[in-house]
Amino acid sequence: MLEIRNLVKVYPGPVAALQGVSLEASRGMLGLLGPNGAGKTTLMRIVAGLLEPTSGAVLLDGEDVTGDPRRIRRQLGYLPQSFGFYPHLTGAAMLRFLLVLKGVQAPRGLKHLAAELLERVNLQDAAKRKVGTYSGGMRQRLGIAQALAGNPRIVVVDEPTAGLDPEERLRFYRLLAEMAEDRLVLLSTHIVEDIAVLCPRVAVLSGGQVLADTAPGDARARLEGTIFEGAVAKEGLAEMERRFLVTQAVLIEGRNRVRVHVRDGRPPPGFEPIPPSLEDAYLLLIRNQASKNGQPAPAAAERAES
Amino acid sequence: MTSLARWAAVARRELSSALRRPSYWFLLGVLGLTAFGFSQGNVTISSGEATAGGLRSHITSAAAQSMYQSVLITAMGVWFLAIGAGLVLIRDAELRVGEIVHGTRLTAREYVWGSFAGAVAAFGIIWGLNLGLSAGFNHVLATGADTPHIGPFVPGNYLIPALLFGLPQILFFAGVPFFLGAWTRRPIVVFAFPVAMVLLILGFLVTWSPSWLDPAINRALILADPSGFRWLNETFLKLDRGVDFYNTAPLPPDMGFLLSRIGLAGIGLLAVEAAARNTARRLLEGDTDSVVIGFRRGGGETTRPTGTPEPPATAGGTLRELGMRTVPPGFFAAVHAIARTEVRELLVRPWLYLFVPLIVWQSVSASLLALGPFDSPLLVTSGAMAAGQFNTLSLLVCILLLFYTVESLMKERTQRLAEIYRATPVGTGAMLLGKTVGNVAVAGVILGAALIASWAIITARHLFGNPVGFDLWPFAAAWGGVMVLTFVFWTAFVTAAFALFRNRYAVYGLGLAVVIYTVYRMTVAQFQVDEALSWVTNWLAWNAMAAWSDMGAFSLHGHALLLNRLLYLSLVPLLLVLAVRWFGRQEFDATRILYRLRPRALLRSGLRLLPFAVPPAVLASMLFFGGRAGYEGPDADEAAKDYWRRNVATWTDFRMPSVSHVDLDVDLEPPVRTASVSGAYTFVNHRDHAYPELPITARPAAPIEWTLDGEPHEPDERAGLFVFTPEEPLAPGGSLTVGFRYDLQHPRGLSTRVGGRREFILDPGVVLTGFSPTFVPVPGYLPGIGVDRDNRYDQREYPDDFYEGETEPALGWGGQPLTTRIRITAPEEYTANSVGRLVSEEVRDGRRTVVWESDQPVRLFNIVAGRYAVKEGRGTAIYYHPEHDYNIEEMSAALDAARVHYSEWFHPFPWELLKLSEFPAYAGYAQGFPTNITFSEGIGFLTKSDPRAHAAFAIVAHEAAHQWWGNILTPGRGPGGNILSEGMAHYATILLHEEVHGDRHRIEFTKRIEDGYGDARFVDSERPLVKTDGSRRGDATVTYDKGGWVMWMLQQEMGRENILGGLRAFIDAYHASSDFPVIQDMLAVLRDFAPDPEAFDAFTAQWFFAVVVPEYRLTGVTKERAGRGWTVRGTVENPGTGRMTVAVAATANERWSDVGNAGTRTVVSPSYRDARTRVELGASESAEFEIVTTFDPERVLVDPDVLVLQLRREAAVFDFPE
Repeated sequence: MLEIRNLVKVYPGPVAALQGVSLEASRGMLGLLGPNGAGKTTLMRIVAGLLEPTSGAVLLDGEDVTGDPRRIRRQLGYLPQSFGFYPHLTGAAMLRFLLVLKGVQAPRGLKHLAAELLERVNLQDAAKRKVGTYSGGMRQRLGIAQALAGNPRIVVVDEPTAGLDPEERLRFYRLLAEMAEDRLVLLSTHIVEDIAVLCPRVAVLSGGQVLADTAPGDARARLEGTIFEGAVAKEGLAEMERRFLVTQAVLIEGRNRVRVHVRDGRPPPGFEPIPPSLEDAYLLLIRNQASKNGQPAPAAAERAES
Repeated sequence: MTSLARWAAVARRELSSALRRPSYWFLLGVLGLTAFGFSQGNVTISSGEATAGGLRSHITSAAAQSMYQSVLITAMGVWFLAIGAGLVLIRDAELRVGEIVHGTRLTAREYVWGSFAGAVAAFGIIWGLNLGLSAGFNHVLATGADTPHIGPFVPGNYLIPALLFGLPQILFFAGVPFFLGAWTRRPIVVFAFPVAMVLLILGFLVTWSPSWLDPAINRALILADPSGFRWLNETFLKLDRGVDFYNTAPLPPDMGFLLSRIGLAGIGLLAVEAAARNTARRLLEGDTDSVVIGFRRGGGETTRPTGTPEPPATAGGTLRELGMRTVPPGFFAAVHAIARTEVRELLVRPWLYLFVPLIVWQSVSASLLALGPFDSPLLVTSGAMAAGQFNTLSLLVCILLLFYTVESLMKERTQRLAEIYRATPVGTGAMLLGKTVGNVAVAGVILGAALIASWAIITARHLFGNPVGFDLWPFAAAWGGVMVLTFVFWTAFVTAAFALFRNRYAVYGLGLAVVIYTVYRMTVAQFQVDEALSWVTNWLAWNAMAAWSDMGAFSLHGHALLLNRLLYLSLVPLLLVLAVRWFGRQEFDATRILYRLRPRALLRSGLRLLPFAVPPAVLASMLFFGGRAGYEGPDADEAAKDYWRRNVATWTDFRMPSVSHVDLDVDLEPPVRTASVSGAYTFVNHRDHAYPELPITARPAAPIEWTLDGEPHEPDERAGLFVFTPEEPLAPGGSLTVGFRYDLQHPRGLSTRVGGRREFILDPGVVLTGFSPTFVPVPGYLPGIGVDRDNRYDQREYPDDFYEGETEPALGWGGQPLTTRIRITAPEEYTANSVGRLVSEEVRDGRRTVVWESDQPVRLFNIVAGRYAVKEGRGTAIYYHPEHDYNIEEMSAALDAARVHYSEWFHPFPWELLKLSEFPAYAGYAQGFPTNITFSEGIGFLTKSDPRAHAAFAIVAHEAAHQWWGNILTPGRGPGGNILSEGMAHYATILLHEEVHGDRHRIEFTKRIEDGYGDARFVDSERPLVKTDGSRRGDATVTYDKGGWVMWMLQQEMGRENILGGLRAFIDAYHASSDFPVIQDMLAVLRDFAPDPEAFDAFTAQWFFAVVVPEYRLTGVTKERAGRGWTVRGTVENPGTGRMTVAVAATANERWSDVGNAGTRTVVSPSYRDARTRVELGASESAEFEIVTTFDPERVLVDPDVLVLQLRREAAVFDFPE
């Protein structure tokens, strides 16, 4: 049982990265979703025992581990947002080294275990290459392998799918899902799709605060019947944003496919109702929070597709 | 923005960044302290005979500032310059600013040159501040009457050396590592540069200058020396020109030197340009990240080679199938894994393979190039090699470990593994210890390589005839037992410092400051012993092997050294615990840090550390208080001072009655440093007045039982001076006997610091003399005891006619000669020698008792004992350590020849046997007691004979000569007296060289001592031979070297048989006299034997009663064919002083044949030709000469037979171009 109780973290400046975050989780996958600077990585690093909070507590089975992070490290699998390895070691040697440091044991020995783990992340053919020659994606997979090693009770993964191609991302999803069956997995990301695919529960962080702690399905259900989609000419997008709450605008072949949130059931002409997505819910939540804080509302998510 | 503006922006950014680094402020602190020390006259730089700082030389002169800047930039600045400049581009890579920076219009050249300019400007500012501080300290703070070392303020004295010595070094020492950093992106390569430079410059270019070095090679080395110090030394300092010259001379650079400085600066700038081009080229190749910025996209890794397919996806099984589980990682398993990984990481880096040979070469070559007495090569024994490399290896490996440890601790951060690494459950202690072990393993690799190199050298030499074989024990003891502990401590210290500062520059600054301060203190200690770090603070065990002896490595300092090593070993757990606490594996919260600094929290932390702090505290206390109570401690110093204070006014000029007989019984226990001493002195009043009181000095630090004429007596003790008051005053012609008995430990207790010992009772050997009141009571008051810097007084000024009437002896106890009966008991395996002849020897219950009696009267006595082998000659014997038989034949031949020829030349040898006994190299001297010479293992037993130097022969000849010049003829006390002992012994050595080995060996020996005189004289303090009393700097070389040389020249003046006849008459006249002679007495006798008394007077007037030294130069030398021969013309001038007639020779081919090599007589090469003329030159005179030859001359030289003492003989040679 992991309990995060009223965590506050203030960096010199001062910058309040966390402003009283409280969460509880025991098993399964908990997604942490939030924009850049929301405090996700700070929270992850505190949970991993790498960062001391200004106040508050991280309780593992009722014991505060912030003062003695060794207790959580013994049960932790951790994949940080940004990392590297000793470039002169081979992938297998690097992984074996980390297995020793983590106290991992396996029936057939660490050498065999390292090979198996590398196979799980599809690095078996690169096991004997020096890590210095790995691509970014290969390095990311090696990081995943070490995080999964040792049957940890808690797995903390921060932006784990960055740099992975779709195939590898799917492979990782499967591994994480398997891991989450009997332990707690904390997944921090700003990619809503990761959460949508993997997490039965999501906490949305923004400005160092938890804005929501819910299941993705619940979040979508609350928007049922309020999301409409239609095409808007490029020059008409600004007017559309002024009149409606636009959640997403996707540029396809020079025209915008726009999703709007309409509470009164009167969508713009030509717009059709569609099922709400988690991304709609997340973006609406963030924009709503920004307007509450008197900040300019973030623009609708825009992207281009071909 | 213009290119210049972009360049300036980069430079400003780098300057601002550099000036915020703590390392530069550490440097400024060290430099400021040094500048302050100079201004107070406390810190001096000496080179040759010119001294900067001190009492009279101006520290503000151009010469002193040139020395200051050239040495300090090389010794200190190079580290900070190399690190500051060399890491600029590497640091940018670590900070990941590269992609952004190079996304702008900034070009590679602007970026590189701007960064370099900023880095150099930062050092320039620090150096400028240092010069400003120097000037301020010198001319503002240190003014007044008590500052004779401060001259007038001349800005050029600071600025010109800054331009000539400082700027080129700065550009070179910054530019080259800057290029290395840009090119390789490896910090360790950058660190290699200053290590290499310091080794090359301070270990070779500045210091290696044997007297026989070819001038052309010397010139090349001058131009190659980046510090410029060699030029300064060889051109201006080596030949002492007097303080006035150095205080006022501008020291203009010659064209060659000026060009070399410009070239040096140019190399630095070219290196920067090379870095810029390298950067630009890589940019064009599209390798921006990897080359310019120093990291690769994706965190230090290359992208996958084009065309390499991604590994195919495989399904794999579930994670559960793997059966993984986690247990707390074992401490030692983690240490092992981390250490192994560290070592693997280090071993695959090529730079280790650069460092290792570099360090090994420096270490081994320093040992190989070490010279013994008279610049003789040394026999490289395993002990000498292990001890000789000790300081160099310790220092260099510690510097390397500083870099490796910091970079190792930085590694996870720079390679972005830190988050994963620190989140593992392995303990921080294991983490740090693993790294410590891994880094210490680097030291092991270096030690292993040095050991292999030493083995290879010794073994190879052994195979080619060198008598010395390899022995592992000295290396195991000195390196494995002592040095390795230094590395463990130092690595722990650096780790703790890193954990505290978490900044590589701060740790480098601190570490280098500690190293530089330590080496500085221990270097100064060569001249001022009390400046040496004590055993408590000497973490590096610097010089701990200086007193190495093959006869017993650790006998002298063993206990103190053991405690010292245990102290620093016990600090390792404390430092690692502190490192674990400070390491910051979890980033501390700033608010909570304040909470932790509350007194109660600090107290709690302190109590937790207590168990780790107690062992070092106890060991430090044992060393500190043990040293205080020991023979070098303040208690002993205070007792000596008390002796001086209470007795100096009463007893200084008290003349004692004679001791006519010494009866001594000494029971030695060398393994425990003790002896029981008992005996009796028979005093006879040979003077014409009665003695109501007799003072005797005795300081054995134990109660003494005294008797007077056989009855118990309690003399009045005055702090070590015991004043006897007989019932009746000792009347003229009367006698009395003083008896004594006490126990002795010698030396007593722990030493306080490294250093030698002249007398001792130690397991490897025993040396005791009648000079030492610690060993035996010495009649009278001894004026040297208790005199130090606080109460040193000026030497007595003697009137010119001081020698008229009876003169007191300079050596011994005074009065008439005495007889001795000395009984020595020691463990059976020891051989104990003393003066006279052996009259009995018996072994009982494992103890050997010998009795030595003087067969003829003596004035001095001593005891020397050891586990000896013996080589017997003709009326001679050499007692030596059984493993030191390398030079025994040569030494025995020298002793035999000395006995025969000195008897023939000077006076018959009156005693039965002449012995020479080796003692451990806890001191490096030899002493010629009557019949019983003591001889350190370090000055002849382990030298290697060479055609250029026969140290073993020369020292035996010199010490044997003291049987005549010191014992048979005891000189008088006063100026010039000691020249009749030491100068005459050198003169006798010259004669014996010529007699036994011929001209070549005599010439080489006279050259060696001439060089010694040229190097060590102090022109400002030198006085005529008849005034030299040993009180001034440089008096030693005047007494020994010039004294011997002048007698050799006097022989040329008088003729060999005339001078020897005169000397025999002189000894006959004085050896039994109660008037002890000085130089004037000798000259008075010799004049009667001079064939030309007027010429004799002219010679003695300039060489004995004035200070002159010629110096010859050849100019305008030409040769032209004349019929079947050649005519050589030229001019010889004497810019020195003195008027002498000197030969000038034109020669062809080598003079000596190599057939006549070491130990054999001179053989003149059959192809050698010469033709000569003679010129007479006074001071500043010149003369043209013409020499007609029948051969094609190759060389012209002045004084080919080395008959006239002169300065810079090597410059009085002209070689015709081929």
